[in-house]
Amino acid sequence: MAGVSVGGGHGGKKSVDHEIPLIPFIDLLLCCVMFLLVTAVWNKLARIDANQQQPGREATIDQEQEDRIRLFLQVKSTGYVISGTDGTNIDIPKNGDEYDMEQLREKLRDRREQEPNRRDLIVAPEDGVIYEHVIAAMDLVVGAGYEDMSLSDGAHL
Amino acid sequence: MGAKKASAGIHAPGKRLLYGIPLKFVHDRVAGGGRKATDIPIALVPFIDFLITLVVFLLTSFSASGELMAQRDNLRMPTAANVEDLEIAPIVAIDAQVVTLDNRRMADTRTLADNPNLERIEQLVQDLETLKRNWSVLHPREAFTGVVILQADVNVDFRVIKKVMFSAAQAGYTNVSFAVNEGGGASSE
Repeated sequence: MAGVSVGGGHGGKKSVDHEIPLIPFIDLLLCCVMFLLVTAVWNKLARIDANQQQPGREATIDQEQEDRIRLFLQVKSTGYVISGTDGTNIDIPKNGDEYDMEQLREKLRDRREQEPNRRDLIVAPEDGVIYEHVIAAMDLVVGAGYEDMSLSDGAHL
Repeated sequence: MGAKKASAGIHAPGKRLLYGIPLKFVHDRVAGGGRKATDIPIALVPFIDFLITLVVFLLTSFSASGELMAQRDNLRMPTAANVEDLEIAPIVAIDAQVVTLDNRRMADTRTLADNPNLERIEQLVQDLETLKRNWSVLHPREAFTGVVILQADVNVDFRVIKKVMFSAAQAGYTNVSFAVNEGGGASSE
């Protein structure tokens, strides 16, 4: 056991030496380590939220929102298209077999600078696009500041 | 006779090692005796420091998300950077073979992917409606949030995701949370 000696204990006074019980302390720490190792989750799971813009959704869009310019990010098998009800149409074709994420990031940043208060954007993937590419696009959209992201069917655009 | 028997059980202790029997050579050996000592002190303080560091590291990396959802062997989730923490909600899992709701089979993924028509998955709609009703009974004073967690494999066709989302919306679950692994994602490239 470890001891702390600060002198004293002479002349009929109470000793101020104290024994620190190290062994139970080590036991406690080892138990904590074992528990935390057993319950540890090394891959952290999280979520990306999206509302649905689909026929099944109840009508919650009011007239003011309808009048507003709506911005879409279409995820096609040939690449991305940023389009809007104001006539915007920016084509970002694939770079070989890969989607051009860098260019999409730049275009979204440019659009964000034009409309800094806009927080909504509709991601509209096509049938045939695999889920990984959809999530990558959604991740970029949220990262660009469009936090009120919705997901729609690209076939209807 | 009886007293003699009783005293046979209890007697004065004999000599004990290192007290009655000093074993001087052991003392000499432990103390070194002119050679290298065999008495090695255990460094308890660095050991405790190490354990405390380990406990602090494990506590900071502790995550409860593994309790809400387990990673499946046959399902590889995508990675994303701009994410939020998971919440408790019904989990629809989509792997290469089957669509499940809370581990109950709802439909075949291949069948859904092959059919181009947007049709609802009846079994999924019914089960989600049941869950919605149960939720309303259990939380009578809270507004229904309509959140469903979608845990899909990276290679699943979006057509399947669309049908699952359509069915969820039909059952009143309009807010979809896509389960991902938190990591670098596309934003940090």
